[in-house]
Amino acid sequence: MERFLDPCCSECTHTGDNPCSQFVECCVEGPLCHESEECKKKRKAVMDRVAVDAKFVIH
Amino acid sequence: MFEKHLLVCGATGCLSSGSKKVTEVLEKELADRGIKDKYRIVMSGCPGFCEVGPIIVVYPDEVFYCRLSPEDIPNIVEQHFINGEIVEKHLFKDPKTKEVSRFYDEIPFYSKQQFNVLRNSGKINPESIDEYIMRGGYRALNRALKMKSEEIVEEVKTAGLRGRGGAGFPAGLKWKFTLQAPGEKKYIVCNADEGDPGAFMDRSILEGDPHAIIEGMLIAGLAIGSDEGYIYCRAEYPLAIKRLEIAMARAEEYGLLGENILGSGYNFKLNIKEGAGAFVCGEETALLASIEGKRGVPRPRPPFPAQKGLWDLPTCINNVETFANVPLVLRLGAEEYGKIGTENSKGTKVFALAGKVNNTGLVEVPMGITIREIVYDVGGGIQKNRPFKAVQIGGPSGGCLPEDKLDLPVDYDSLTQAGAIMGSGGMIVTDEFTCMVDLARFFLSFTQNESCGKCTPCREGTKRMLEILDRITEGQGEEKDLETLEDLATTIKDSALCGLGQTCPNPVLTTMRYFRHEYEEHILEGFCRSGICKDLFTYTIDQEACNGCRACTRVCAVDAISGEKKEPHSIDQELCTKCGSCVEKCRQDAIKITRVGREADVRG
Repeated sequence: MERFLDPCCSECTHTGDNPCSQFVECCVEGPLCHESEECKKKRKAVMDRVAVDAKFVIH
Repeated sequence: MFEKHLLVCGATGCLSSGSKKVTEVLEKELADRGIKDKYRIVMSGCPGFCEVGPIIVVYPDEVFYCRLSPEDIPNIVEQHFINGEIVEKHLFKDPKTKEVSRFYDEIPFYSKQQFNVLRNSGKINPESIDEYIMRGGYRALNRALKMKSEEIVEEVKTAGLRGRGGAGFPAGLKWKFTLQAPGEKKYIVCNADEGDPGAFMDRSILEGDPHAIIEGMLIAGLAIGSDEGYIYCRAEYPLAIKRLEIAMARAEEYGLLGENILGSGYNFKLNIKEGAGAFVCGEETALLASIEGKRGVPRPRPPFPAQKGLWDLPTCINNVETFANVPLVLRLGAEEYGKIGTENSKGTKVFALAGKVNNTGLVEVPMGITIREIVYDVGGGIQKNRPFKAVQIGGPSGGCLPEDKLDLPVDYDSLTQAGAIMGSGGMIVTDEFTCMVDLARFFLSFTQNESCGKCTPCREGTKRMLEILDRITEGQGEEKDLETLEDLATTIKDSALCGLGQTCPNPVLTTMRYFRHEYEEHILEGFCRSGICKDLFTYTIDQEACNGCRACTRVCAVDAISGEKKEPHSIDQELCTKCGSCVEKCRQDAIKITRVGREADVRG
């Protein structure tokens, strides 16, 4: 998962053509439609790559 | 994970100061040392302190390097990145106190600022939608998609958001009128024409945080029931247009723009229309005509665009900064948003602070802050400790306020009562070497040149006013000119067709109100005490003050200054072009502005 648009796993259905209503919240707080520590870590990795400091990401 | 994030200001101001070259050298230096992969270099938006660009902000070290040139980079890489020692000589140094500041929280320029609209500018990669989302982006849209149109309108109304383009009309009220207008097809238009000379607030927002505008327009579209919008951006902002195009493409790709946004069934199509160089197209009806492919001239109102706008359909048109505030209103809620600012002027305002202050740049301050705080705390006071003379607020539509107005709060109503306007955010500080007559002439010549010509009061009236001002500044003024200027000004204000004409006399009226003595001195005494109107002064060297250091002779381009070393010098008036270079260089304050043909009258 290089960016938020990339699916974290096969559970994710969001695409530009078939958007998920929870997409925005899910980017930072997800996964929301299933439980997965691995998927949580993938999101964190996306954020950690660009977050310049501890206050960068707004929850 | 990167060891460090290096945010290089890539906004238009710093780009023209050479930040691209700085970035190239930085990339090469890191690559040559084999450590490029450990560092993330981002060309960010404007961090605001344009006076000291080019700027690199280093995270997580929290170091603010400024006034950089490509030659400085190898040493910064060696000393700071390799050896871990901050390079103090490239930190900000206060010109008055000589105190060195390491990061934003220590730099006086940022002390009274509050970054709401500019919350992301200078902090994110403006071409990354992910970073915008991480910073709370599109959550306001998320909330708005679950609300009714009337609820969104009410939220914006309650928040007290007023239009930031100049007039300060309540945004929520405008949205309410457009929502209530009959018809299925409606438009949202963003006015990104920003024509005021020296203003770059909107440019910075568009370059540094383009998704904020997209989100704001999407929310406005939900509020009024619109499925299509236009961003009318001046063509002189190619970087802003490029960033908008990238942001729009990303938003569509992510399902945040276009069809069925976030699966809600809401559709919104966004278009960009480039301006063609006409200042008058910043006026809403002229702007709409331009989008329609017609000549950009205003039309009478009513009907207002809310009822009959683009292609005669209900249209809500707001400024860039207004739209940038909208996601904040919806994300924080009206009550929380309204905690900043004053009773009738909520939120913050972005200003382009320029002129004779030490710290020029882009500033965002809470409404209600005083002019004194902006000039002295944020702006760092007047250059060379000279006395403050006036501040010009609101660009060509605005007015000049003198020293006794320094403690006026900056909000819509206070400024209007004092004869100025908030305007779009231009703020020019002047000192004793600014001629208020010439300043008024400058702004009037701009608006006269930009007059579309449709209505006689503006087309002919501004021309007549400018002729008078030209004569006054050339020493040909007559006593009756002052009354004629005031008559013309009030006639144009009362009868011009659009805001350009109605407000263009403001600089003349306020300078006449607060600096009438300068007009009278120009006309009755043939003297410009500020040393600007070249026919109305000469430079004379005070023979007692001059110590013959020759600093002035070295900068005189026409060799008009002569004298022996350590002996008082003199100026040949036949050769002197009155460029003022010698005055700036003289350490003894020995060069005086004098009446033509007379000895020294005032201090130089």
